[in-house]
Amino acid sequence: MNRRDFLKKGFQISAASIAALNGYVPNLFARTESFYETRDLAYVTNGSPAEMVRKAVELMGGIGTYVKKGDIVAIKPNIGWARRPEQAADTNPEVVAAIIELCKSAGARKVKVFDNTCNEAKRCYRLSGIEKAAKEAGAEVSFVYSQKFKTVKIPQGSAIKSWEFYSDALDADVFINVPIAKHHSLTGLTMGIKNIMGILGGNRGQIHNNFDQKIAELNSIIRPQLTILDCVNIMLRNGPQGGNLDDIKNINTIIAGVDRVAVDSLGATMFGKQGSDIGHIREAHKIGLGEIDLSKANIKKYNFKA
Amino acid sequence: MSRIRRISQFAFLALFIFLFFKTTFPFESWIPVDLFLKADPLVAFATMISSREVISTLLLFSAFVLLLSVLVGRYFCGWVCPLGTCIDIGDHLHRLPKKNPTKSLRKYRIVKYTILVGVLFAAIFSVQLIWFFDPISLITRSFTVTIFPLFAFIVEGTLSFFIRIGLFEDSIFSIYDSLRGTIIPVESLFFRQSVFILVLFAIILLLGRFTRRFWCRYLCPLGALFAFFSKFRLSKRIVTDKCISCGKCYRECKMDAISEDFQNFSHSECIECMNCVTVCPTDAFQYSLKLRPTVEKIDFSRRRFIHSGLAGLLAVGATKTAFIDKEKSGTLIRPPGSLPENEFLDRCVRCHECIKICSTTGKYLQPAILEGGWEALLTPIGNPRFGYCEYDCNLCGLVCPTGAIHELTVEEKKKIPLGTAKFDKSRCIPWYKNEDCLVCEEHCPIADKAIKFDIRSVQVHDGSLREVKYPYVDEDLCVGCGICVAKCPLDGKAGIFLTNYRQERWIE
Repeated sequence: MNRRDFLKKGFQISAASIAALNGYVPNLFARTESFYETRDLAYVTNGSPAEMVRKAVELMGGIGTYVKKGDIVAIKPNIGWARRPEQAADTNPEVVAAIIELCKSAGARKVKVFDNTCNEAKRCYRLSGIEKAAKEAGAEVSFVYSQKFKTVKIPQGSAIKSWEFYSDALDADVFINVPIAKHHSLTGLTMGIKNIMGILGGNRGQIHNNFDQKIAELNSIIRPQLTILDCVNIMLRNGPQGGNLDDIKNINTIIAGVDRVAVDSLGATMFGKQGSDIGHIREAHKIGLGEIDLSKANIKKYNFKA
Repeated sequence: MSRIRRISQFAFLALFIFLFFKTTFPFESWIPVDLFLKADPLVAFATMISSREVISTLLLFSAFVLLLSVLVGRYFCGWVCPLGTCIDIGDHLHRLPKKNPTKSLRKYRIVKYTILVGVLFAAIFSVQLIWFFDPISLITRSFTVTIFPLFAFIVEGTLSFFIRIGLFEDSIFSIYDSLRGTIIPVESLFFRQSVFILVLFAIILLLGRFTRRFWCRYLCPLGALFAFFSKFRLSKRIVTDKCISCGKCYRECKMDAISEDFQNFSHSECIECMNCVTVCPTDAFQYSLKLRPTVEKIDFSRRRFIHSGLAGLLAVGATKTAFIDKEKSGTLIRPPGSLPENEFLDRCVRCHECIKICSTTGKYLQPAILEGGWEALLTPIGNPRFGYCEYDCNLCGLVCPTGAIHELTVEEKKKIPLGTAKFDKSRCIPWYKNEDCLVCEEHCPIADKAIKFDIRSVQVHDGSLREVKYPYVDEDLCVGCGICVAKCPLDGKAGIFLTNYRQERWIE
């Protein structure tokens, strides 16, 4: 038993005991462990956002692998900022809509879309174009409710012991994380692991102090079945909010995977970096949330223009 | 007739509430949300006198409203005024016996003229006091700061109750979803001074315990203005010889405007509610249009006029000589596009339209207490610890009826600094404990970042070196939106604060 397995097992046992104590079974047990052990990553380029999403999910085994008939699906895009789609501070609305349509086609009972925003929620939902796109695709789009946050203990936590999590994310049968890849002044880059900020409540600014360790530990509470990283337009500077169109680079790429650390590591290469250059990705790997070494991953590439 | 009047009252109240709900982000600029304020001749008079400028946007509707009163008297009070309708509803609930034991109160009718003359005198000396008494401003303010948040609280509380007991949870949430952002705010609203404003509003309704339409009879300066113009009105109501002196009209009169012999009216008091016409068993009333205006003497002597003016002057002196705490006035942030402070105060009628619309987006604006002195009481100021000015937003200027806040385009607005942020290095996390934070920098909406940071290596207590990002403000870029203060994760006082250094006002 190596250290990684030890941590993994230890985490599972403690999480299970906490869950049993709370009479609450978190959704990470809805899947067998082998589900999460896939080393596949999808790397799709040069298509329209929607067709790249569909292709990426197909490469990852098809939406049926993730969403079963009657499931409640929670989709968590980044809707943090009151910015327009071309400013690429929020997830591309076409990407979000394409994922919702896939979930619907797999027979999902409900698809919920939400984010705990940084700017005023209505402005973010509207300007980002996500509210409209997601509603048209058939999702339930709601602003977060303070009533739906619940305080969760973090068994693995040393820097952070407990925090408020959004129950729609915790209770969903399937949780799909849909971040956008951006520069971030504090953390270097923000992608999947950092996007979990949007299901947290409380005074989130306090997480920014000793951020890397805290966000990794917070990620141990929730395990997305699928992370789809929007790299259609990526923000190279002045992130996470941006504003200058010069800071945006169009690279027309979608990355998808089950292993969130691997997805973020592959995402980092879009910026000419490695996963190990980014503190919180390193930290997430260290506590056993996924694989940081891309040579161990099986990257399935598809180029629409090839 | 009184039924038609009642329909009109509810229609105008409904319109008022509709416009109130439309004072929101996303804003549809074709809807004149400040219609009632723009149609208020007292607001127009007082702001134009105190600012010594012709404010063309205020003229059109208010002139129309005022001219109509020459024709049909105080119809506005009886048929239109949303506060009047609220008072009628309140009076109805008080269930006072319908007789008029109020003759003894008639001598207080002049109080409203006193208030009118007093505030107009103050306006001549550039002190805007009309906001306290003007019914339209008063009801808009009360709705914004207390009644609407209270309503939202009750709706949210009811929905939350059902959610908590787990009854129809899914359908409750879907109702909740559809209400949020339209009928109720996305997040609960909180305003400073809300209790004070609620108490004032409640007192106005509770005065109905004494007699019906107490406010309108004795206090309302807008009523007084209409009363004055009603003196010259061209239509006259005549009691014909069908009158059997049954006295029903006398008892039904809301305004105590009918004389004891039932034959005469006070045309300056009558609000055309038509109760008398409706209850008259013999149809003894007739309307006739006369080209020669009725001139009715208002019991307002020259001496009293001078006294009222002096009272207004006293108020001018009291507000102008009041102490202003420089520590507070130096952090006073006005909405973007505000006129220079004195001109701003001349024009602001405290309708709180700007505060209402801001509460649906950045939640920046709050009523002032004494930050700008007594003269600036209840004017809109930014409260950066509670909210912030949305970078991409210019809505406050679009809804200001008097032009105290100039209408800016979003691009113009983005360039106008409201103030400047400064770090309090004794509190800011990187500065006082050498640890990263940078929440302020992350939220700074300026594309090139008005908060920048230096990365420096410091030796920490155990001797090791640590790289820390130390933030500072780029004063050339800061627009004073205050989001850095709002989002600072420190408990209590933030590690960054705003002063009005570099604050820019709109100059024509």
